[in-house]
Amino acid sequence: MSLEQEHERIEELLAGYTLRSLSDADAVEADRLLADHVPSCPSCRQMLADLRSVAGDLALDAEPVSAPDLVWARIRRRLEEDIGPSPRAGRGSSVALAAGIVALVAMGGLSFLSMNRASQAEDERTLALELISLMRSPDVEPVSLDPQGEAPAGSGFVAAAAPDVRRLYLVASVCPEPRPGHAYQLWLGRDGAFTPVGEMFVPSGGKVLIKLTVDVSRFDEVWITEERVGGPPAAPSTAGRSWRAELA
Amino acid sequence: MSNDDLHDLGLHRRLSAGDRDAFEELYRRYGDAAYGLALRITAQEALAQEVVQDAFLAMWRAPEAFDPARGAFRSFFLSLVHHRAVDAVRREERMRRRGERASNLEPVRGEDVADDVVEGSYLAIRRKQVREALTTLPAEQRQVVELAYFGGYTQSRIAEALGIPLGTVKTRTLAAMRKLRRALPAEE
Repeated sequence: MSLEQEHERIEELLAGYTLRSLSDADAVEADRLLADHVPSCPSCRQMLADLRSVAGDLALDAEPVSAPDLVWARIRRRLEEDIGPSPRAGRGSSVALAAGIVALVAMGGLSFLSMNRASQAEDERTLALELISLMRSPDVEPVSLDPQGEAPAGSGFVAAAAPDVRRLYLVASVCPEPRPGHAYQLWLGRDGAFTPVGEMFVPSGGKVLIKLTVDVSRFDEVWITEERVGGPPAAPSTAGRSWRAELA
Repeated sequence: MSNDDLHDLGLHRRLSAGDRDAFEELYRRYGDAAYGLALRITAQEALAQEVVQDAFLAMWRAPEAFDPARGAFRSFFLSLVHHRAVDAVRREERMRRRGERASNLEPVRGEDVADDVVEGSYLAIRRKQVREALTTLPAEQRQVVELAYFGGYTQSRIAEALGIPLGTVKTRTLAAMRKLRRALPAEE
């Protein structure tokens, strides 16, 4: 495929992406391009900015409608809760997860992975702070991935997603080392169809903190499976060592 | 960049510093546009109210999500509302499909509401430009854009609904977005 054809294909994907209308496989491909190609390609960056601007403008085709007073009243009430005695505190599970992340960073030796190349320069602390900040949002519901099949009891991951900014964070403090020649693979699925997301990874000293650029709102399940390095990943199952959770 | 965009940038800076007055002004500027958009996509008042409320609260809690280098605040925020409304519609549809298989795919339409909202003149001017640009699209291109953007349908679902190949939906979308890019250049 020529460079021109490649860019036309990218433009086609980004046009659907900015309208939020891509179907599963195309959405995964767009996420990959946004992480790998677009940040380093000036023409694609410009194209994306233009398409985003058009998508933002399309909103104006909708007639403005006077929002009922109760909308602002509810917002104001939530604001007051946020800036009250417990500033911007989230739910218990979010607070616990944030505390866990702080502890992970404090322990050092963290296995830090960022699958978004655009953010490789970020260090562990920045990523941890980003995640803690995310935990303050009431829209973020962390989920625990429970061990399946041969995965050791007591091991697990916590996943937290921010659909608005298309990010998924994966945290683990008790993650067993994969068997020799193996690594772990993250999967997202909907209605029983799964897509491998990002590169395979291994923990360090049982600890993992991963950030991925992906929109999880299209999926209803998340899995991590142990896979043979270099081989094609198999569809998630409870046959080997795996972890699983349903997404809200 | 227009004066209104600059004003939005100032409000965003104040919002980032936790200024509630700036937040309230942003609500006054964009609340009605956001609600109109959410209502057109969801076609349900309660859902639209929830979408608008969540979008504004998300902006308050994570103002850093807006990067001024990536375009105007207006585009960013209305896209945030759009994404949340589309997600809300898809969640509802998924739940419905789990219970009973939808047999008839009709585009989600907003209510026919009276244009009784007085909004900032700059929004009204841009709105006129957007509508003029949309009228220049061939009907089949406008249809796929509207089903995607306001109907909340994926391209696969549009292909199914219209009985055309997925590739044709993609081609029409690309052609439409190219025309709209030319007709609605981003404001420098």
